[in-house]
Amino acid sequence: MSASLMVMVILFGGIAAGLVGSLTGLGGGMIIVPLLTLAFHLPIPEAVGISLFGVIATSTGAAPRFVGTGLSNVRAALFLQIAASSGALIGALVAHHLPARLLFALFGIVLGYSAIMSFRPQHSDVAGAPESSPLAQRLRLGSRYQQAGQWVEYRVVGVMPGFGIMIGAGFLSALLGIGSGAFKVLAMDRIMKLPFRVSTATSNFMIGITAATSAGFYLSHGDIPPVIAGAIILGVIVGAYVGGHLVRMLPVATLRKLFAVVLLLVALQMLLKGLFNL
Amino acid sequence: MNGIVRERRLLNIWILRVSIVLCALLIAIGLAIFFTHGGAHIPATPSGSLRRIMHTAAHASLGLHASAFLDAAIVVLLLTPVARLLVGIYVSARVRDWLYVAIGMLVVALVITGVIAGQSGM
Repeated sequence: MSASLMVMVILFGGIAAGLVGSLTGLGGGMIIVPLLTLAFHLPIPEAVGISLFGVIATSTGAAPRFVGTGLSNVRAALFLQIAASSGALIGALVAHHLPARLLFALFGIVLGYSAIMSFRPQHSDVAGAPESSPLAQRLRLGSRYQQAGQWVEYRVVGVMPGFGIMIGAGFLSALLGIGSGAFKVLAMDRIMKLPFRVSTATSNFMIGITAATSAGFYLSHGDIPPVIAGAIILGVIVGAYVGGHLVRMLPVATLRKLFAVVLLLVALQMLLKGLFNL
Repeated sequence: MNGIVRERRLLNIWILRVSIVLCALLIAIGLAIFFTHGGAHIPATPSGSLRRIMHTAAHASLGLHASAFLDAAIVVLLLTPVARLLVGIYVSARVRDWLYVAIGMLVVALVITGVIAGQSGM
């Protein structure tokens, strides 16, 4: 395949990643890394580094949906970002010293987990905790948001377990080139009892900064071929823009389930490559 | 307080719009140059500091090299979440919330550490 044709195919791969990301909420990195490694045989550190830029593009493209809604909890985001960025830094350092087959296997497991989780029912938007924990009170993490003209106050608990999960989310993001949004929402929604909409908006803010921490590492390390990265980024921007307009017209819940099945197959292929080099 | 929230929203929207448009434009120019030159060679980004990468890009742009525009786009995209983070710190400073100014600065330091650790080839 000529370099021109390869870049064209990668551009369309980026469009697909952006479309799927904005339509289903599943991260574009789940497509980009398998596309670049399995189809184009790029070394996994390059694929992961490029994918992280795709993650920043996805998060930046989706951000206007959340800006100005008052849903994002900036204090929680900044505090938890210490954990996510620390994890990302460790992940980027470790990724360059792990065997590629281990990374493939790990990617397969995380991808499979994310695909299975997407079959679970969507969360309700109830503010769960009756009272903030002492640490959450000291950090003033509780806040409020507006819903149907009413202010909904929420309280926060489980700050340190949430902080711990964020370290893991940042680590996986940098190691595998994914946004780890599912893990960030898990920490905030399930553990810290933030309302789901608040968790999603706060997670969008955090995903970009987490990816930037490790993407900066990969870029200055010389892992980013600009033509391939450019094709992916432009594709993701276009795909996310189109997806944002299609989201109200398409049966998103069905698409999400269909795509989860495809992801399961890709996860299996990544796992087989990791375990048996197939 | 409402004024600060509005200021934060406007700053964030401005950052997001400018960065996405600038990034897409630079990539479109870079890929157009790549395809019109036959698209035979896939260049590499030099490893090193962001300053070095941008310095190389500035020189390469004089020769209308695709990599110059693509590298510039990549750096613009990398700086976008950092700019949003700086807005968060600025807003915290405006309301004299020094704890969160310090926390935000710590996160900025972690992002910078990532770039420095990468260029040191660790």
